[in-house]
Amino acid sequence: MREETRREAVWQFLTYAFILLGAILTLVPLYWIFVASTLKESQFLSSTSPRLAPGDSFFANFQSLQARENVQFVGHVGEMTHYIDLGPFYIAYDFWNLWNMGAIESSIFVAGVYTLLSLLLCSMAGFAFAKYEFRFKKPIFYAILATLILPIQLLVIPLFLLMSQLGLTNNYWAIILPWAANPLGIFLMRQNMRSIPDALLESARMDGATEFQLFYKIALPTMKSSLAALSIILFLFQWNLFLFPLVILDQGKYTIPVAINQLVGAQRVYYDQIMVAATLSIIPIFILFLFLQKQFVSGILAGSVKE
Amino acid sequence: MTNDDRKSVGRRNVLKGAGLAGLAGLAGCVGTGDPSSDSTATQASGGSTDAGGSTTTTAAQAAMAQSAEVWGWDVAAKALNLLDEPYEEANGGDVSINQIGRSDLKDKFKSTLLSGSGAPAASMMESVDAASWVDTGGLRDISGWLDEAGIKGDFVSGKWGPLEKDGGTYALPWDIGPVGTFYRRDVMDEYGIDVESVETWDQYIEEGKKLPEDQYLLNLPSNDYDGLWRMMFRQIGGQPFTQNGAVNIASDKSLQVARILKRIRDSGVANDLASWSSSWFTAFGDGTTASLTAGAWMEGTLKAELGDTSGNWGVFKPPAVESGGSRATNWGGSNLTIPAQVSEEKAKRAWDYMAYALGREESQLTMYREYGLFPALETTYESEAYDDPHAFLDGQPAGRMFAEIAPNIKPYRYTIDTPEVTKAINTHFRDMMAGDKTPKEAVDAAASQVADRTGRDLA
Amino acid sequence: MATRDSLSGTEPSFRDRVRFARQSVGERLPTPGEGIVGYLFLLPAFLLFGIFLAFPIVYTFYLSFFRFEGVGNDTLLWIDTGFFSYRLTSIADLRFIGLENYIAMFSDTLFHQALFNTTFILVVQVPLMVALALLFAVALDASFVRLRGVFRTVLALPVSANLVAYSTVFLLMMQDAGLINYVLTSIGLPAIPWLTSSFWSRMTIVGAVTWRWTGYNMIILLAGLQNIPQQLYEAAEIDGATRIQKFRYVTVPQLRPVLLFVFVTSTIGTFKLFSEPVIINGGGAPLDSTITIVQYIYQTAFIDFRLGYASALTYVLIGVVSVLSAIQLNVGGESDA
Repeated sequence: MREETRREAVWQFLTYAFILLGAILTLVPLYWIFVASTLKESQFLSSTSPRLAPGDSFFANFQSLQARENVQFVGHVGEMTHYIDLGPFYIAYDFWNLWNMGAIESSIFVAGVYTLLSLLLCSMAGFAFAKYEFRFKKPIFYAILATLILPIQLLVIPLFLLMSQLGLTNNYWAIILPWAANPLGIFLMRQNMRSIPDALLESARMDGATEFQLFYKIALPTMKSSLAALSIILFLFQWNLFLFPLVILDQGKYTIPVAINQLVGAQRVYYDQIMVAATLSIIPIFILFLFLQKQFVSGILAGSVKE
Repeated sequence: MTNDDRKSVGRRNVLKGAGLAGLAGLAGCVGTGDPSSDSTATQASGGSTDAGGSTTTTAAQAAMAQSAEVWGWDVAAKALNLLDEPYEEANGGDVSINQIGRSDLKDKFKSTLLSGSGAPAASMMESVDAASWVDTGGLRDISGWLDEAGIKGDFVSGKWGPLEKDGGTYALPWDIGPVGTFYRRDVMDEYGIDVESVETWDQYIEEGKKLPEDQYLLNLPSNDYDGLWRMMFRQIGGQPFTQNGAVNIASDKSLQVARILKRIRDSGVANDLASWSSSWFTAFGDGTTASLTAGAWMEGTLKAELGDTSGNWGVFKPPAVESGGSRATNWGGSNLTIPAQVSEEKAKRAWDYMAYALGREESQLTMYREYGLFPALETTYESEAYDDPHAFLDGQPAGRMFAEIAPNIKPYRYTIDTPEVTKAINTHFRDMMAGDKTPKEAVDAAASQVADRTGRDLA
Repeated sequence: MATRDSLSGTEPSFRDRVRFARQSVGERLPTPGEGIVGYLFLLPAFLLFGIFLAFPIVYTFYLSFFRFEGVGNDTLLWIDTGFFSYRLTSIADLRFIGLENYIAMFSDTLFHQALFNTTFILVVQVPLMVALALLFAVALDASFVRLRGVFRTVLALPVSANLVAYSTVFLLMMQDAGLINYVLTSIGLPAIPWLTSSFWSRMTIVGAVTWRWTGYNMIILLAGLQNIPQQLYEAAEIDGATRIQKFRYVTVPQLRPVLLFVFVTSTIGTFKLFSEPVIINGGGAPLDSTITIVQYIYQTAFIDFRLGYASALTYVLIGVVSVLSAIQLNVGGESDA
């Protein structure tokens, strides 16, 4: 007995050590990004002695970042300018002008809308591929998979052309719609949905459920952790998109990667401002991840089908 | 059942018939190739992206658009902003300047060029990119308007090379970077180096040896050998490509430059920090690196980055490659260009703006005074603005010196394969500096690499 | 439901006839699990895919048989019906050159170099990263670990760091006098020329990419782990399996679909590497040992303006990666789609 508990203890120790090592290695560069955002550029870039302690220039750097004319990183309060004239008084109604969106808000908005839309589309498509038979299933699936491989650089020009024809330039929908059917997402959902026991679906059918109810009431709830993983994938995909948003959006609507790239000037790279922007842009993701951790619950399928 | 079948067949036929009839009706309105209603004038100005569709009148009679958008980066865009109000007062149009980061602007602009839509009325374009951008055919030929305005001769003649192709002119020159060697007065004085007596590079190197071990005369950046090479190569009249496009970077002149660079490295007077890095700036700030050969615009950058060294700097003409040789060369410079896809009215407005901003002495001098953009407009060189003392340079009227250099800048043949030359020089000069190749081997290897990858002949 | 035997009565009543009709229609419709339902679920996704992605894909393929000569102005199609007019212009002057672009690739040494570099990085990076991601996923699934949510978040965070920022930090860390070498030398190991040797600069890319994506893949594997029924583990325990045995005989086989996903997508992702080599190695240094395929394609398209050739390169890339993915899927035991 004691042998077993000793072995158990060793495992636990090794596991913890492994995890901690991983966490430390992961955090070092991130920590450096944070430290860099608090230092003046010259302090950060001198490679003679790597500085590990944070400095005190965070707000100064942040202010220079916000002061830049060609990029608005964090939004600011605006003014309502549309009024209904009722004689003795005015009523302003354009609440959307109260806040001028900066890059961070734009990114959060776009990535959020995209994730919700794409979650639905990808899980439906994944369900179709995993649990249904239809003609052309294989070719369609492989075609969708093949688009995964396409590097975005070459897609930019035809996509841009398409968007101009559709009148969607400088419009957030132009970057949300093209990849709403995200091949990565469809692939993931298909792989994960294969583990749903067919017997479960059959018995539900025999109880008179419609196909959509099968999807909505059985498949989705059991896929909570996969959906959480998918959300992360989708959100991050949109968050990090750079080349196409650069080409299709104009200044007021820049997302974070485009905004940060503006800081790479003609000859100079404004490292201190870049680091501040990078640090700030990690925060929303951090919050999202923490929030989604609750969904990683295991064993939902346990006991759902009697062997 | 059969009744139904017959009825549905009947219905299907009617639908088919109606469809065909409809299509036939449309046939007269649909076609490929150019519709006859368009005039050739529309073709010349390219497909319109404005809601207005095709234009109707010829160029000479087209009205000017009320507003236009111009793209520029950093300092240049800010300089144009100075001209916003004066222009509106003078010519009535509202031109907005869109400031975009340099590499982003290039990516965005190229995408609009290649996809044929979304381009602004005018955009900034560096001379080094001009050849390849012109080559796409996406830029508008302004030679007609240029002749009308008669200002071509007003600009430094060396600028026009990359902007012209097959008799057309595709951009208007804006600024140039006449080269000067900026130096730290205090460091030079401390070690008795007299820059005014220096005429050639070899002399400069000799003087540089007076500096102690840990101080350097200049910096040879490990990431940018081609910048220095190109500067010196142009100075002695070298051309990277011959008239008929053969690769010429292994010529004697190029070899001469390579040898000088190697001598500089071997003499120990050169630092080797990556240019534009923070440590590069720091070295100038504390005098570890005592001089910097760069375009006139560098003064603005030094002022911005190393403001507290103001008054400790001076500038002299860059050393000649050989005694009696030219001391005039260029580093950098941009232009404004109009994309072909833009409508006639917008193009006219853009041209009007360009002529105002770049073709008028007053505008150019304003931008020079505020932001140090050295005008390519030669007629400004008489102006007293160039005699202004520069506080940063301890009162030296540096402008006058640059104004003397500018007209003597030799033209340079940039082509669409210039990026290949840049890469090749950097790669092989790195070997040369490390001692793995002789200068001759380095330039030869660079030339064959370019010839290989571009399919051109060797000169 | 009571049915009347229509044979036993006189002629079938109206209700019988309706029921018969309904039944025969029901038989003619595809049974659930077949036919149009699958299509219906797929429809929204496929629609968007068709509109937005199909055109660029087809157009790129089309372009690969041409040489880009310049921006075009010719009208391809015009519609003018008095109250509605539309003009579609071709966007490029193209010269048909058939398979010339594809043939040119055989003698393009820089392309071969890019292929080699990318494959090298791939072969080292993907197995390493997937193994690490799997180990972390399993470790963070174990019930005895506290603060699981926090650790998982921390490990997955790298993928949210902005590309420019993190590449810069890596660039600085990997300098000859940077942090990594500092640590190495202080424990007695020699400093490594991370950025100046061909081999080590590729390793730098491997390191950077692994750092960035391991946590991300861990999350995906974690989701897959949640789908393994607890009973299987319990059954194994009853049979006296050790931890390692449970891992080998329960976890890994059950994770197969998701492991396959991670493998295939990581392979594809590595083939698409672009930004890291540009920033960390200045675009291929030293000596073009880190130039990747997509970097080369971007250069060809955006700097040399050789759109036709770039399109051809893209399709070769697609071909190579498709074959690799197909192999992986087959070896991984995916017998059906």
